[in-house]
Amino acid sequence: MSLFLNLASQGLINGAVYALIAIGLAMVFGLLRILHIAHAGLFALGGYLGLVVTNATGSFALGLAVSMAVVAACGVLMYRLCYEPILEQPPYVPLIASVGMFLAIEELLRLVFGDHGLSYHVPPLAGAIDLGGMRIKYAEIAVVVMACVLLGGLALFATRTRIGMAWRATVSEPRMAASCGVSLRQVRHLNFAIGSAFAAAAGVMVGVLNNLVEPSMGAVPSYKALAIIVLGGLGNMGGTLVAALLLGLVEAFGATYLSNYLDRDSIAFAAMLCVLLVRPEGLFSGTKGSTGLLARKLQLKGAAKWVLTKRPS
Amino acid sequence: MRSNSFFKRLALGLACAAGLAGFAGGAFAQGATTRIGFQAGLTGPAAADGNAGLAAARLAVEQINGAGGVNGKKLELVVYDDQGKPEQAVPIANRMVGDGVRAVVSAGFSGPSRAAAPVFQRAKIPYIAAIAFAPEITRTGNYMFRVTSVGEVQGRAAAKLMGDVLHKKRAVLLTIKTDFGKTLAAGFKEAAPKFGVQLLKEYEYAPSDRQFGPLIASIKADNPDVIYATGFYFTAGPLVAQLRSAGVTADVVGAESLSSQQYIDIAGQAAEGTVITNVIDWGSQLPEIADFLKAYEKATNSKAEAAATSTHAAVVALAAAIRKAKSDDPDKIRAALETLDVTTAIGRISFNKLHEVKKNFPLSIVRNGKWERFGVIDDPALLAPPEQ
Repeated sequence: MSLFLNLASQGLINGAVYALIAIGLAMVFGLLRILHIAHAGLFALGGYLGLVVTNATGSFALGLAVSMAVVAACGVLMYRLCYEPILEQPPYVPLIASVGMFLAIEELLRLVFGDHGLSYHVPPLAGAIDLGGMRIKYAEIAVVVMACVLLGGLALFATRTRIGMAWRATVSEPRMAASCGVSLRQVRHLNFAIGSAFAAAAGVMVGVLNNLVEPSMGAVPSYKALAIIVLGGLGNMGGTLVAALLLGLVEAFGATYLSNYLDRDSIAFAAMLCVLLVRPEGLFSGTKGSTGLLARKLQLKGAAKWVLTKRPS
Repeated sequence: MRSNSFFKRLALGLACAAGLAGFAGGAFAQGATTRIGFQAGLTGPAAADGNAGLAAARLAVEQINGAGGVNGKKLELVVYDDQGKPEQAVPIANRMVGDGVRAVVSAGFSGPSRAAAPVFQRAKIPYIAAIAFAPEITRTGNYMFRVTSVGEVQGRAAAKLMGDVLHKKRAVLLTIKTDFGKTLAAGFKEAAPKFGVQLLKEYEYAPSDRQFGPLIASIKADNPDVIYATGFYFTAGPLVAQLRSAGVTADVVGAESLSSQQYIDIAGQAAEGTVITNVIDWGSQLPEIADFLKAYEKATNSKAEAAATSTHAAVVALAAAIRKAKSDDPDKIRAALETLDVTTAIGRISFNKLHEVKKNFPLSIVRNGKWERFGVIDDPALLAPPEQ
């Protein structure tokens, strides 16, 4: 029982990290139909900034805040300098640009901060509490709390504020939103800023949990977040969150019971393949998938259609 | 018209003379140095070990040249980056052969070293793998050598360390899914019963894993008194920190891949008491070891770790072989390596029939945030490398 609870709580913690990373990817995909691989680069950059500022000033709160602010700005710059000029190109063009930026960030971190990665001089949020026979680290609790606060705040923002409504309107019907006076560009800036800040928060927390940031720390999130947003029904925020938590749980139990047969990182892809076979539109997409495997094989539906067809407007 | 053609001929003649002179100069320059190829991943995922190896190789060459070179010639390092990729290793191996290297030291990982080995075997150029564990390398042919012990041998040493030195009998094995991790696990499982060590459970994990919460939850339920954490500083560092903060107090045993100071930086207080089978004998009085550790720290501003130390040993062994052969002819170097017995930064080494290294395993323990000496595993029968 204790093992079960322990695994479940570890799954939730992993799921919270995945959710913070994947939500930004889902937001960019929902708005622009770009597979924003460089998002994982921003995640790594966030981890580094948080650590460097914390080590320099001794204040973890400052490190986290600076990291989120700077990475949000980097996200907006990335959109302005890299994506905006090629928005009209076929989808693979921004995808290639994105992969290029991801690799560039990784090598830049390697050049500036060295090959070995960095650790906190004084690990923040050290210590743990006993909770029903389990020991849970403060850092782990902080990850879950942070995910709840940030994602809850985002939900409130999107549903209760005018800007949030404009943003949602742009996602569902960009031309109509534009003709109602919504500035598409500002909405996109906001989108990148929020998504990137969340990725930075996730990067900082992963850096704290591992007490290690490394140039290649974005490699696993870069593809796992993709699997999550496909599972969640591309561009679907709620679906992405559920998929992230589910994946965290499945991995936690899989790493214990399947580790000798299946790599932990391959669980995400096994799940993605299964879901694409049965529900090509993702687990939580609103539209109903067509029935019959043959029909699905011949026609591009759901996720495949989202990825391969041209963006609206 | 006539004078024009005369000048043409003159120019041609001068050019030829200049060319010949240049050629002779080049040949002379080549004759004055012995070119040693160096292969490692200097960028990409292998860069940490690759650059440490390069720094150590440069240090070794500097020290040897500072002492007058080998047989009156200076050593010259010809450096190529394999980017940690097998497909990159083959073209650079061919270029090294074209550059006229007399022997090659590789601080590359298993994949690229395994890919480069056949090129050097065909070209009959001695190839010394410093940190690649893939068994295929020495089986490629008689020009292949390895100065690091294959994983099975080190796994057996770890079993003896647990049973005979630490007196811990209930072990959990955490195997990293790489060539290195799997061979360590195989050697450990083979030797564990001999030392009364009972294997409670084996878990596998990927090199990209940094979060071990679920594994640790299971390990807690297994309740071992020792954990064999195969892996690297960047996996085992977070692992050990997470083990301790989850309240697991079992001893942690690791391999030489944890030997860098980064392991202690990452795991912090949790690293205290970790024991590893190492290649570095911290605190040794042997000048070959003590001088290297001091010089490396001075040159790079960081403490030596296994990859650097093994690479330094490879270059020193190669220089000793060239000295012994009294020639930098690749065939003679190869013959000299076969019967070499030399003391290096990893201690006294020689090669067996398969050209696998024969050496002891110094043990290291983390005390007060530093690696310290913790005895040695010197059991020639247990540590005998494979012969075919």
